Parts: sequence; structure tokens; C-alpha cells
Amino acid sequence: MTKIEILGTGCAKCKRLFANAEQAVKDLKITAEIVKVEDLAEIVGRGVMLPPALFINSEIRAEGRIPDVNEIRKMLTG
Amino acid sequence: MAEKPPCTCGSNEPKRIIFPCAGQANVGQLTNLAAIQLTEEGYGSIACASLLATGAENLVANAMNADEVVVIDGCPMLCAKKIAGAQGIAAGQHVVVTELGITKGPSKSYTNGDIEKIVAACWKGEGRKNDTTKPAGKTGGKGNGCGCGGSC
Repeated sequence: MTKIEILGTGCAKCKRLFANAEQAVKDLKITAEIVKVEDLAEIVGRGVMLPPALFINSEIRAEGRIPDVNEIRKMLTG
Repeated sequence: MAEKPPCTCGSNEPKRIIFPCAGQANVGQLTNLAAIQLTEEGYGSIACASLLATGAENLVANAMNADEVVVIDGCPMLCAKKIAGAQGIAAGQHVVVTELGITKGPSKSYTNGDIEKIVAACWKGEGRKNDTTKPAGKTGGKGNGCGCGGSC
């Protein structure tokens, strides 16, 4: 199962990224686990210096920006 | 316990310029409020569609140099889109408030939920849902605006 992680300290943009990821999964009708990672030590520990960051299956796909639904859909299908 | 630092996100966002139609109806006023919130959230910078209509050179140049022009119209009259088009500016993303399920008039009232609906639509990129390319203004875009020159 695809695992999507949103790394960020919980600001509005992190929430928007989470919502975009949820919408992309819904649009594609796939099963995916979407997880928020708000622990600063873990965020930094995974090399993210500019949150929010999007990880798909443990691979960083975006950092410091919010990919829109279309872009996340492409990441999930590409 | 250390205080959580604020998110620094936003510095990597593409340079966007947002034109709300700012019409007199409730949906027009909502475009303005949504554009203000989007600016506060770091999505882009609100600009004046009325000034654009005058052909103000600096504003036209700014729009042309943006990575993405976002036009928010209140209703199917599409005034802001037409104003931009008349200056040769193509919207990379175009959101129409009435298409989001918000009814135009006769009341001037609105809710915070209405604003959120428009703001979320922009962040989701709903106005360019069928676009498979990167965000682009008239200049065709300049990568993701993160300073990497378009390689990310």
C-alpha cells in the first residue's frame, strides 16, 4: 500500500498539502495511508529543512512548497 | 521545551500574481477576500484587476514575469479573465466562484466557509485541473520559483 507522509509543524500550508494529498488519493480511487509527521526532531532527522515536505513511499517528492492535486496525482501514478 | 519554529514554507512557491474580479455582488467580494487570504498564506500576491484594465505598464510587466497568473472571477461574466486577456495575459489558473457551488446574490452575505472554499480551490489547483503542464503565466513559467532554474 502506498504510504504518503506530510512533514510539517502543522501550519496552514501543511494542512493544505495534507488536503491536496487526500484529494489526489480520492480522485485516483487508490488505497493509501496518509500520515502527518509533526515532530520537529523527526522532520529534521529526515533531512527536511524547509517544510512542508511530501514523502511518497519514504521518498521525498516535494519540499518547501505545496504541490497541487494534479501534481500529486501524477506523482502517485508516475 | 523548545518552541516550534514557524513553517518557512512559501519561499519555494512559484511567483504568482492573483487578480480577483472584486465585483459588487457577493461572489465578486468573495474573490477579493479569498485573494487577500491567499496572499497572507504565501500563495501569491494580490493585484488590482481594475488597474490592469487601464493597461498600467508596470502591472502588465509584473503579470508577464510571474510564474503563474491566477484569475478569480465571481461569476460566469468572467470580467477579470477578459481584462487579463485584453492585456495579453493568459491565466495559468482560473477559478470561478459560482462553479464552486456558491450562489450569486441577491444577498451580500457570505461565510468564512465560502472564503475557505475558494482559497482551497486555488491551493488545490482546481482552476487548472486539466492542465498537465507546470504552472505558467504569459512567459510560460520559470520553473518552480525555487531558484534552481527549473531543474527540480
